[in-house]
Amino acid sequence: MDFSLSKSQQMLKKSVTDFLKKECRELAREAEELSEGYSPQIWQKIADLGWLGIGIPEGYGGLGGDFFDHIIVLQEMGRSLFPGPFIPSAVCASRLLLEFGSESQKADLLPLMLDGKLIIIPALFQPDSFAGECHYENCQFSETGDGKYKISGNRLFVPYASTADYYLVSFDQVQNQSDGTGRQFLVDAKSPGVNRLTLQTIASDKQGEVIFDEVEISDEDVLVNHSNTETFFNRVRDIGSLAHSAYILGMLERVLEMTVEYAKNRVQFEKPIGQFQVIQHQCADMMIDLEQVRYLTYQAGWNISQGLPATKKISMAKARASDASRRVCLLGIKIQGGIGIIEEYDMQLYFRHAKAMELAFGDGDYHREIVAAELDMG
Amino acid sequence: MDFRFSEAEERFKQDVANFFTEDKELVEAARKEWDSGEGYGPNCWEILKKIGAKGWLTPTWPKEYGGLGLSYMYRYIIQEQMHHFLNIYSTVGAGMAGPVILNQGSEEQKRFFLPKIAGGEIEFVLGYSEPEAGSDLASLTIEVKEEEDHFVINGQKMFNTRAHYAQYHWLGARTKETTPKYKGISLFIVDISTPGITLTPYYTVGGERTNGVFYDNVRVPREALVGEMNRGFYYIIEALAYERISTVAGLERDLQELLIWVRKTDRGKDPLVRQKIAESAIDIEAARLLALKVASMLDEGTIPSHEASMLKILVSEGEQKLLNTAMQVMGPYGQLQKGSKWVQMNGEIERGYRDSLQELIVRGTSEIMRNIIAERGLKLPRS
Repeated sequence: MDFSLSKSQQMLKKSVTDFLKKECRELAREAEELSEGYSPQIWQKIADLGWLGIGIPEGYGGLGGDFFDHIIVLQEMGRSLFPGPFIPSAVCASRLLLEFGSESQKADLLPLMLDGKLIIIPALFQPDSFAGECHYENCQFSETGDGKYKISGNRLFVPYASTADYYLVSFDQVQNQSDGTGRQFLVDAKSPGVNRLTLQTIASDKQGEVIFDEVEISDEDVLVNHSNTETFFNRVRDIGSLAHSAYILGMLERVLEMTVEYAKNRVQFEKPIGQFQVIQHQCADMMIDLEQVRYLTYQAGWNISQGLPATKKISMAKARASDASRRVCLLGIKIQGGIGIIEEYDMQLYFRHAKAMELAFGDGDYHREIVAAELDMG
Repeated sequence: MDFRFSEAEERFKQDVANFFTEDKELVEAARKEWDSGEGYGPNCWEILKKIGAKGWLTPTWPKEYGGLGLSYMYRYIIQEQMHHFLNIYSTVGAGMAGPVILNQGSEEQKRFFLPKIAGGEIEFVLGYSEPEAGSDLASLTIEVKEEEDHFVINGQKMFNTRAHYAQYHWLGARTKETTPKYKGISLFIVDISTPGITLTPYYTVGGERTNGVFYDNVRVPREALVGEMNRGFYYIIEALAYERISTVAGLERDLQELLIWVRKTDRGKDPLVRQKIAESAIDIEAARLLALKVASMLDEGTIPSHEASMLKILVSEGEQKLLNTAMQVMGPYGQLQKGSKWVQMNGEIERGYRDSLQELIVRGTSEIMRNIIAERGLKLPRS
């Protein structure tokens, strides 16, 4: 049992913290005004630092790290609300390519992703899933013969939809056809029949809608180790939820920090308000929530790094992280009072981003249901 | 980062589990005694002596005092199994009094008490709370007068739970009237059979016996003082951090039993039930990881103060929440007591619902725990 970071993990954490402190102080706020929703220049810088290749084996030009290294980076990113498609592209899509892609797909695409030249975004949610589920029944591809496929459908809440170079989508077999499994496709965003628009969201995080209208896909853009959509989605969900848990962890660390700082300095009734028991207990509750998110996230991340079954532990982490993000940010707002709600100050940024993070890949209720299923409740 | 036990630790865990499964009858009898709320009966003493004979009550102590010189992680492993099988995961002697004697006691005290504590032969009762001193422990007033070669103690203690079966009173008493009050407190080990000490039993709503303890001109030898005069409160504070450490084995067992019931009765198909029970499962897993973190900290030589407080909150409030959920899940059947017609799960939930209340209060209330987290953990100014 060891709760400490290794030397190399500590070095990674320090280098990420130093970079973000130096280059990204106001980035979250600035990014809300950028059409991309993030800074392509900074994206290139982190590519040059190797961050986009953390989970990618050295053979493809990556750093050959494990999922826990992602957690370290994501935690620091969450702390500064680092914007951009790191989770969907550098964490989810690159791992999915490694698992489901052919050798030539990996050899072609991973180096480009690593270099910051290619962004691939999974586009998974259909418009009818209010509970955050992925509905598989009506998403079917058709085969046009001569090695080509055709897909149609809408996908919502696609992160950074307008800047994606490729979408990673999953469709199942048309009924009555034998194979029984689905196909995962890489869809070039510039293909005829692809339309995308940006949604207006609470976190201004450029989630979008992508409409596929009889889009043609050739065999080379099919991921070779295909599975049915449900299996594929569960895999993405596991990776994506845990990545977001780590991001939430960092966010909440910063929220607690700024709230305690405020409570120590804000004087009312001739005392720092941090001396009043109500404020103390609220801060204590924030810390209790935060520490639970920490250990649940670290354990799940470690499980993935070790190749151990992780679904239950991931969903435990995400459920707690989702609810904690809401609870902790609300207390942060309340304790900071007027400052908490003024746009000019950071607390409201965290509050709004927390909602997006809470929902990404499933909120508390969604993940509790997964835990219930894993506990075999009947 | 590593969330596994080592191979040696895994083997040890298995050995400890086997120790309990191979002595099934005694273990069940001891657990029944403990769960009755009356304290250690003969079966408890017997199993504690057996555990003590293996050095498992005090595994981290030096061998010369009956320990095994093992890490806190090994202690965690033992406590987890004890908790699971017996519901007793430590003794006050091993967990609270012993460590203070080890660090602050005289050579005579160490030689006399430590081996007996390690062997499970004696137990201590904490003598902290008084009718007018609960969370505000430093305001205690039981009074010590210093005579030439002994002390005379007068006053009253309350909620001294183990007084009716422990041999020694771990007494916090006032040796000096001073400001601040905590600087006038000393620690004593008093033989409970000393003339002048009387007990009054009280029972909690959970069915557990506790006691009022009265000192009427009790004559106590000089050697009863632990450490330095008027430094007692510091020793008490240090010991309290250890008191708040526990495992979640009890919670895990309760959850498993609830899951069995839920599957049998089809209640597990109700989405609301699934949500609530899953939430408890998450609570328990988070608490388990924090318990391991605390053991890890002890092995690194760090005293876990706000972490121990957090753990205490997670375990006690987690238990309350689980039992509350179980009550809700059972609907009106939850109120039935053991022995009643139609009772579910042998009435364990009903009893637990009452009994778990004390965990929110003893060993430091949830509110005091939050004060500690705020002041020690977050460095907020003292309220």
